[in-house]
Amino acid sequence: MEQKKYWKGLEELHNTDAHQEIVKNEFSEELPFESEGLLNATTPRRDFLKYLGFTTAAAAIAASCETPVKKAIPYVNKPEEITPGVANYYASSYAIDGEYVPVVVKTREGRPIKLEGNTLSSITQGSTSAKVQGAVLSLYDTARLRFPSIAGSETTWAELDKQVGAALAGLGGAPVVLLSSTVLSPTTKKVIGEFLAKYPNSRHVVYDAVSYAGMLQANESSYGKRVIPSYHFENAKVVVGLGADFLGTWLNPVEYARQFAQTRKINAQKPEMSKLFQFESTMSLTGANADERYTHRPSETGAIALALLAAVGGSVTAPAIADKRVADGIQKAAKALKENNGKALVVSGSNDVNVQIIVNAINNAIGANGTTIDFASPSNYRQGSDADMAKLVSDMNAGSIGAVLVYGVNPAYDYFDAKQFAAGLGKVKLAVSFNERADETTELCKYVAPDHHFLEAWNDAEGRTGYYSFGQPTILPLFKTRAIQDSLLTWTGNTTPWADYLKNEWVAKLGGQEGWDKVLQDGIVEPATAPALGGASFSGDVAGAAAKINSAKKGGKLELVLYEKVAIGSGKLANNPWLQEMPDPITRATWGNYACISNKLAKTFSTQLGDDYEINAEKKVLKIKSNGKEIELPLLIVPGIHPDVIAIAVGYGRSEKTGRAAGGVGVNAYPFVSFNGQTFDYFTTDASADATGAKEIVASTQTHNSYEGRPIVKETTLEEFIKNPKEVNEDRLELKKFGPDFRKDGTLYPNYSYPGIKWGMSIDLNTCFGCGACTIACQAENNVSVVGREEVAKGHEMHWIRIDRYFSGDDENPEVVFQPMLCQHCDNAPCENVCPVGATNHSSEGINQMAYNRCIGTRYCANNCPYKVRRLNWRDWNGADSFENNLYDVADMNDNLTRMVLNPDVVVRSRGVMEKCSFCVQRLQEAKLDAKKAGHPLKDGAAKTACQQACGADAIVFGNINDKNSEIYKIRNEQQVDRMYYVLEETHVLPSISYLAKIRNKDAAPKAEKETAHKEEAHHA
Amino acid sequence: MHLKYESTLREPLVDGVKDYHQVTEDIISPIEGKPGTLWYVGFFISLALLGFGAFSVFWQIYFGVGVWNLNKTIGWGWDITNFVWWVGIGHAGTLISAILLLFRQGWRTGVNRAAEAMTIFAVMCAGQFPIIHMGRVWMAFFILPYPNTRGPVWVNFNSPLLWDVFAISTYFTVSLLFWYSGLLPDFASVRDRAKTKLRKLLYGIAAFGWTGSTKHWQRHEALSLVLAGLATPLVLSVHTIVSFDFATSVIPGWHTTIFPPYFVAGAIFSGFAMVQTLLIITRKILKLEEYITLGHMEAMNKVIVLTGSVVGCAYLTELFMAWYGANPYEFATFFKYRAAGPLGWSYWIMMTCNVITPQVFWFRKMRRSVAVTFVMSIIVNIGMWFERFVIICTSLYRDYLPSSWSYYRPSWPEVGFYMGTFGLFFTCYFLFAKYFPVIALAEIKSILKTSGENFKEKMVVYEEESAEKFAHDVAHAH
Repeated sequence: MEQKKYWKGLEELHNTDAHQEIVKNEFSEELPFESEGLLNATTPRRDFLKYLGFTTAAAAIAASCETPVKKAIPYVNKPEEITPGVANYYASSYAIDGEYVPVVVKTREGRPIKLEGNTLSSITQGSTSAKVQGAVLSLYDTARLRFPSIAGSETTWAELDKQVGAALAGLGGAPVVLLSSTVLSPTTKKVIGEFLAKYPNSRHVVYDAVSYAGMLQANESSYGKRVIPSYHFENAKVVVGLGADFLGTWLNPVEYARQFAQTRKINAQKPEMSKLFQFESTMSLTGANADERYTHRPSETGAIALALLAAVGGSVTAPAIADKRVADGIQKAAKALKENNGKALVVSGSNDVNVQIIVNAINNAIGANGTTIDFASPSNYRQGSDADMAKLVSDMNAGSIGAVLVYGVNPAYDYFDAKQFAAGLGKVKLAVSFNERADETTELCKYVAPDHHFLEAWNDAEGRTGYYSFGQPTILPLFKTRAIQDSLLTWTGNTTPWADYLKNEWVAKLGGQEGWDKVLQDGIVEPATAPALGGASFSGDVAGAAAKINSAKKGGKLELVLYEKVAIGSGKLANNPWLQEMPDPITRATWGNYACISNKLAKTFSTQLGDDYEINAEKKVLKIKSNGKEIELPLLIVPGIHPDVIAIAVGYGRSEKTGRAAGGVGVNAYPFVSFNGQTFDYFTTDASADATGAKEIVASTQTHNSYEGRPIVKETTLEEFIKNPKEVNEDRLELKKFGPDFRKDGTLYPNYSYPGIKWGMSIDLNTCFGCGACTIACQAENNVSVVGREEVAKGHEMHWIRIDRYFSGDDENPEVVFQPMLCQHCDNAPCENVCPVGATNHSSEGINQMAYNRCIGTRYCANNCPYKVRRLNWRDWNGADSFENNLYDVADMNDNLTRMVLNPDVVVRSRGVMEKCSFCVQRLQEAKLDAKKAGHPLKDGAAKTACQQACGADAIVFGNINDKNSEIYKIRNEQQVDRMYYVLEETHVLPSISYLAKIRNKDAAPKAEKETAHKEEAHHA
Repeated sequence: MHLKYESTLREPLVDGVKDYHQVTEDIISPIEGKPGTLWYVGFFISLALLGFGAFSVFWQIYFGVGVWNLNKTIGWGWDITNFVWWVGIGHAGTLISAILLLFRQGWRTGVNRAAEAMTIFAVMCAGQFPIIHMGRVWMAFFILPYPNTRGPVWVNFNSPLLWDVFAISTYFTVSLLFWYSGLLPDFASVRDRAKTKLRKLLYGIAAFGWTGSTKHWQRHEALSLVLAGLATPLVLSVHTIVSFDFATSVIPGWHTTIFPPYFVAGAIFSGFAMVQTLLIITRKILKLEEYITLGHMEAMNKVIVLTGSVVGCAYLTELFMAWYGANPYEFATFFKYRAAGPLGWSYWIMMTCNVITPQVFWFRKMRRSVAVTFVMSIIVNIGMWFERFVIICTSLYRDYLPSSWSYYRPSWPEVGFYMGTFGLFFTCYFLFAKYFPVIALAEIKSILKTSGENFKEKMVVYEEESAEKFAHDVAHAH
């Protein structure tokens, strides 16, 4: 085919010379840039810009500074199971001081950062406490011992083993004593047994700083079993507590609080709940939650128990109770117990054998055995023997003990006669400490073989017989520490490493490696079907016990009670800044102990509740004398404490070497403990107190006790609630005047409808016991700063969730209510519109969010917050500002070690920036992304806030209120319509958190009386 | 000298026999001479205070707002109290210069210069507080709506704090312009009298080439009127907007619609008191009693008793509304924790100083007593400081949830910061008194013709004439 030629123009067709010239020359016009010099160019502007661009770029490249990479994740080869940014979870157990809480450890990039309850455990069902939540911080405690030492100087494990081995061999038959607190681990006990078997006459002495030996001995004499039974508060319609703080500190409060909460959940469809009577000397957390509460002197503890036994039909003659209110209360409690035979329970916090025998007799009489008390699967929470300890101390002083190996106890601090113990320890040939810090006892031991932290170690724990929980390392040991079991195995001559020993033991028990793998995954082993509850036949010497109680000496003018604080307990976790700064549920005070006294007693020291008392953090210091000992402590007025009682918390007054947070905080109250021949008494019957004239700061986070009759807290009695469930929320009817929907009708502005997710929270005031687990859980989750005593006293604490505690009624027998208070995520938030820079704003899911980078710290938002939940970073708590040397850190929270606990998902806030609850937005985001990846809508319960997850009572429910299947939706719209209310709803700030009114199971107050009381409080309506 | 037909109501605005030259001498010669010992003492005390204030501010910025005793409940204390107090003080200057100019009140010429200077310095002091009180003062520029690369992130136009930024900066700008434009002819006078080259140069620059031509005077008058027109609404708006910081919030005791007029009246009240304090000292030290007369003081005392009573009315209205409004939270704030309670003492200081004591000015004798006026001016300023303290702190310290109730005492850096602003104020004022004509020279000359002894002298001719002759002359005037 012929190639056709197309021409583009006449020039091409004719192909003139001129055209050929043009074709040769590609550019038909002269480019001025090439033809002329730069400076002479006719259009230098363009070139100028070219040169400018080039030089700027060149200068920028030349001058660009290197960005130093400070830290990187040091993986050359990434471990298969670790993805940066994705958390790994390992099952473990918290078993400090005999408390048993199976946990799940959240680790990020190999660092444990948070403990959650293990929901597979049928005992705790995922509950935790403040102590459990705080325990992860103790892993990174800067005061932990970092290496083995001999006589104070560092050594190697080989050298230590050699010397200890030689010393043990050279004892010449003198007994070896392993002194420990309650050991829940059966395999550790086996290792201890094998070790002690090597040495003749050796023994294992179990000593609990806060002892339950009286109970153990009473059960031995009553039932022939030296055990603590398992309690089943969930089966009890009536509970009588005789000084037992089972919601706060008694035995295993995490377990009991959860059980008890089940009996306190109530709605209009099922208006029933348990009734709790509490007889006590000081105001405990349990007393604060009691429906009926009576106070007595500690010397009357036995008499009260006897009177109760007599009242339930026991054949004893009870001494007369002088206080008519208490006497009536006993009759009332007894009546309730008898009416609920088989559904009732009496627990006592006394460490007196005789009192516990009487309590056993009462429980026997009311049919508690086998229904609310289970002897078939008893608990192992405390195993200490006070008499053994006392004998050990006298043996040591007599020089008849060859070696003392101290494991997890600190008698040089918490034994009542610490001097005697220290003197005895000096007479022992070989003293070894396995303790993890240079505490008072470890200081006295020549050989220090520090144990791992429990998050670094293999372990098992048998909380209840047949119910096991396990521990596995969640991080390589941070220091040159060694598991105590490894030390003992080595010294026994067993070369099996503890990890293998434990594994072999369980592989054998479970019948194979698969079983063991599953155990490590689940973290627990429990009977396939829960064994039936079993009672025990009671054969206690009631008459003998009664006689001893009746002959007990009467108290003096003042009496002294020692108690454990919910956060600090016996003092083992004293060097934990989170727990030190956790406000005590009752006193709301932080950092230290104080002398709790009644308002009546305070008046004798010319101070009393009132404005002056409230506005001055400095309280008068009292010199308290008893049993020949004296200490000085600031007083603190606690409504509801018996007028003749002074209550002091143990666990404070630690040596400086214990750590920076614990050292020098408070005063040691253990010297007031006494030994009555059988057990320790945690009270004295004759004390005196005098004002010294000095004053000391008590750093409280709440100074005003009353809610002034304001409808921020709503409560009613069970009787009235049954009669008219709507009455408690009567004032909400006022809002109906605006129209059917207050949200829309109470404003002139348009309403945003929140399509998609809308987060909401419900808090049940009836099941919130005020324990504070949520506060610490939030602190761990959200990197909330610790500020120290002085700053707390200035009102600068940072907690995102606080638990407001209000007293009502008279100050001798007040009623208490706890109200968790956190950012309410108002949909019409007053904080948002006042921020000049828009640093706080609203998300499309109803979250009131903070842009920390944008915040300039005008504090207007905090002023305008009706709930006062916003927290300014008053100082440089974290070293996160650009000023040198202005760090304010009183508790080593900024050590590189301690900072490992920080949650990498949550930014650390710099000084001058406002912060507050975020509804754990990082968790919500994670849950949403997971749902998105899985390709389904977000499921209810997939996103949990830290406070919600920590709450053992399930008082906090959180979720998407647009999801009609969610629990939060059902609570608000179906189950709790009558009890549900919003705090300060009438201000139309539209909070996202609803509260459920508190119901007290007490006799309804006569209507007229209630109304006058209300008028008096509210002044005006 | 007394005239036959002398008004007992309209007293002369300038006392003594003055001619134009004498006025110039009286007012400019202090600028040309060396200051007295008292000036040095006062100036260095002020400088020392300023230094201490600067140190207090450094301390606070370095270590954080935590060195102040504010807390989770009470986010504003002395800082914002002082801010509102200083802003309020500024108001008298603007009122005198702008509103009285528009109302053709001749007496203003004796006091307007110093009052305007006071306004400028007071607003400078006031401006320190909202900036320094920030947690991150180095990020303070975030409050300006400038184009940026952050998204852009914009300021929140809903926030009264942002309105403050605009209100205060506008106010400062207009006041400064007004003050400076008034100073031009006076600077020119100083320049023209200057005997040293440096003075001639500096005042020459400051005078912007003023020649005193008719055109200059015409433009000057026109500018004065325009600025007066601009400044007049500012007198009302600035403190109205400051009051919005509180009025638009939800806190009982803040959330009150009465605040704008109440704040404006209070501002004028405290401003006039401050003018009195300053002028009583100034006229004494610079011997200007003939220009700043008892008549001036009386006029201002009348304003004080009026605005004091307005403020008193507002206090009572607030109490009434707290009861009548039937809001239990507001009721408690006013009756339990403001008029009583741990901070109740501050409320009664406020009531005594602002409402009760100014009532002495119903008596002419008191209004014309220099001593009483001076003491009262101090009392009023104390009272007005406490008013702001009462509004801010007694509302915050006991608000909705009793669990957060708190108390507040200032720490040393807070007190130091406040003292520092006094240092700043008086340092500026001393420099002003030394280097600027403290009385509006040009303006006071304009009233000389109708006031003072020399005016009377001119009248003598007519006084000596018989009434008949006067009537006859008038009747037959051509």
